[in-house]
Amino acid sequence: MANIAVQRIKREFKEVVKSEEVAECHIQVELVNDSFTELKGQIAGPPDTPYEGATFNLEIKIPETYPFNPPKVKFLTAIWHPNISSVTGAICLDILKDQWAAAMTLRTVLLSLQALLAAAEPDDPQDAVVAKQYKENHPIFLKTARHWANIYAGGTIREDDYDNRVIQLKNMGFDPHKARVALSTHNWNVERAMEHILNY
Amino acid sequence: MACYFDEHDCEPLGEGQQPNHLLHLARLLIDSGVAAQDTEMDFESLFPGADGKPPPASKNVVENLPVIRITEGQVARNVKCPVCLGEYREGERAKELPCKHNFHPKCILPWLKKTNSCPLCRHELPTDDEQYEEFKKQKARAKQREQDIETLHSSMYG
Repeated sequence: MANIAVQRIKREFKEVVKSEEVAECHIQVELVNDSFTELKGQIAGPPDTPYEGATFNLEIKIPETYPFNPPKVKFLTAIWHPNISSVTGAICLDILKDQWAAAMTLRTVLLSLQALLAAAEPDDPQDAVVAKQYKENHPIFLKTARHWANIYAGGTIREDDYDNRVIQLKNMGFDPHKARVALSTHNWNVERAMEHILNY
Repeated sequence: MACYFDEHDCEPLGEGQQPNHLLHLARLLIDSGVAAQDTEMDFESLFPGADGKPPPASKNVVENLPVIRITEGQVARNVKCPVCLGEYREGERAKELPCKHNFHPKCILPWLKKTNSCPLCRHELPTDDEQYEEFKKQKARAKQREQDIETLHSSMYG
């Protein structure tokens, strides 16, 4: 990797490790390999959101041309959010694309992602299904996001009725994750979710 | 009396140069509000190239950026180059942008070859891309128009 990229990551690494946010357990970065091309990030779900109390893991890939090009970031932890794909974890955030600036750092990227969790942009969605629910069925969106955070990211609030519907489909022999996706997609209507799984 | 060309914020055509009819049509439609009200059409869709994504900074402007020397005071305050995050050494040369932010030449030059704004504050430098400059003017004009309407409204009902 180009010298400037390695140097930058080393310096940034120190910065993030020392920062206040780490001390307060809000964000974290770890090295995955010795060449500084791949890192693992972690962000805490912001308070007063369905993600509160949950922790999300991120894959961070540093391009050769860093910091002139943004790092490639995606969610490893499954999440229900309009700007993050519930299937692949791909993120739609302007600063990770054309609004990137060379003075931004891993710390500012992680803080921006945390801000994205607190303030979704449903009109610029990555996951159209989630965005539609966010706009048209907001209470169901909030419960679904909380349920996903509880199941996949250690969020503490359980949504018992949603758990029960997943168990209902699981007992019929369906894969629980597939059942959860189908139920989430169809606003937790069990019959439509079953149809969905059987048709795809 | 103001010159025709000044008044219309344009320049006379050069020898053998053709007027850009599409541009004038687009301007007419946008300025009259027809584009915004009746159709989905706007400047971006008329000019697929000018999607608002900033082109590189003007070569001439970049070449003429002032060079400063890092002072003892800056070193004492641990001032860093915002791109490589390395601390400056005393007497080291740095390029200064119009927004007064400074960078190592080897750090800022590749960035300005890619885009036209300060990596720290997004202050925009001029570009060599005519379409983009036109897009910027268009945005400024739209803003001015909004302000004018606002002033008019508040003078009537305020």
